[in-house]
Amino acid sequence: MKRRIFLASATSAAALAGCGPIGSALNGNVAVQRLLATAEDLNHAVIGTRGMAREYRDRDVDRMFRINGFATPSDSHYAHLMADRFAAYRLVVDGAVARPRTFDLAELRSLPQQTQITRHDCVEGWSAIGKWSGVRLGDVLDAVQPRSGARYAVFHCMDNDGSGNLYYESLDLHQARHPQTLLATRLNDAPLDPEHGAPVRLRVPTQLGYKSAKWVARIEVVASFTNIYSGHGGYWEDQGYEWYAGI
Amino acid sequence: MIYRYALLTRASHWVWVLAFAVLVSSGLQIFNASPNLDASDKSNPARRVLAIAAPAEGVGTTTIFGRTFVTTGWLGWTDDGMGSRGAHAFPAWITIPGYQDLADGRRWHLFFAWVGSVCWLAWLLSAALKGSLGQMLLRPSDLPKLWPMQAYYLGLRKTPPAHGVYNPLQKLAYVVVLFVIAPLVVLTGLALSPGIDAIANPLTVMLGGRQFARLWHFAGMLLLLGFFAVHIFQVATQGVVNQMRAMITGWYRLSGRDGAGP
Repeated sequence: MKRRIFLASATSAAALAGCGPIGSALNGNVAVQRLLATAEDLNHAVIGTRGMAREYRDRDVDRMFRINGFATPSDSHYAHLMADRFAAYRLVVDGAVARPRTFDLAELRSLPQQTQITRHDCVEGWSAIGKWSGVRLGDVLDAVQPRSGARYAVFHCMDNDGSGNLYYESLDLHQARHPQTLLATRLNDAPLDPEHGAPVRLRVPTQLGYKSAKWVARIEVVASFTNIYSGHGGYWEDQGYEWYAGI
Repeated sequence: MIYRYALLTRASHWVWVLAFAVLVSSGLQIFNASPNLDASDKSNPARRVLAIAAPAEGVGTTTIFGRTFVTTGWLGWTDDGMGSRGAHAFPAWITIPGYQDLADGRRWHLFFAWVGSVCWLAWLLSAALKGSLGQMLLRPSDLPKLWPMQAYYLGLRKTPPAHGVYNPLQKLAYVVVLFVIAPLVVLTGLALSPGIDAIANPLTVMLGGRQFARLWHFAGMLLLLGFFAVHIFQVATQGVVNQMRAMITGWYRLSGRDGAGP
């Protein structure tokens, strides 16, 4: 009897301990990875981007909103923009649009403003609540009129991973036009500070935090992102994270 | 010999074994990216229930409800899967993949979450349609037999109380695991998704918020592990060969150990 219990426990423990090595071995297999990736399409189809992220009260806000992601840009271009309080900043919106143009901060502020107190859910597992103000991305897209055939907005950013690879992200136009998808210029009742992505960052409360790109310099409207960087639609997506980040 | 387990029950059982193993180990990989659990909506150190950390080089600690234990080698400072030890909440030998990789851990987890859930639905539908679900549901008439059955397991009684295909303790365990804990683990996992939260915010609120849902999800995993441990113990002590044959071929031998299954 004792031998049986011992054998059963040992077998179960070995099976569990084997998960790491077995998983690592299978993890490198292309067919396995392709199979695992099918869940992303399923989640995108089933969950998608619907409903509205919960909006909180003022007293729920984290006054010291957690800083994460790449370091604040330290190149001379960004230093110059910052010294001038971003007066020289121009958001470029181009690509598959009828009326490509740039927006300076005053022009962005002249569009209807939205304030939202929403929770930021990081893929790492933590959450924080911030009060974000800015212009709806949908309004900016309306101003440039995406052409028929345009499917995605790609966000080119000013920060890099320390090895010179620039951050970028993308949303499909349905996600981009979600009423809570913002180009935020303010956080917690103050102009966005450099550490949180000044002067303009994306805010996508219906998806995980890596979608909310900071230090946005250019929005490129495209039919497909397969020819941009490694072709997965974002810096972290190129490292294996899901493009659909609603879960 | 009786034909105890239908093909779909047997297939579901082994699919769940695989799915559970992958979900636990990939879940611990995901946990490692932020090895804290807070009883709150947003992250809040003041309401931290569990924190696994490496406060110094070579030291791993685990803090539960404010009490800190040194757990070097087991939790906090552990095997990093690359031949040495490092700041790593759960050791690499129990995570998928066997090194720090949140992106791939998520891919395994989100795929096998579908496998386990679809399998559960298919099994439930089939069992309900065939009418075999009734034999495993706990009924009021089973309640007085719970203690006699436990007494039998403890050796305080020579024979188990009279029962059907499943004994009352088995029914209790199966009902709690299949219809309470497993669905809760799925719902608490869904509540972590910002996309689901936008569709079904009351679910997240009901659980106490997003970080609280993460805590419930982890607790549900521990409960399932507890069931798993008892289950393995029962199989080991109630006739391994008979039990394994039954779960592979469906045929179960009724004998002196009549019905005292896992």
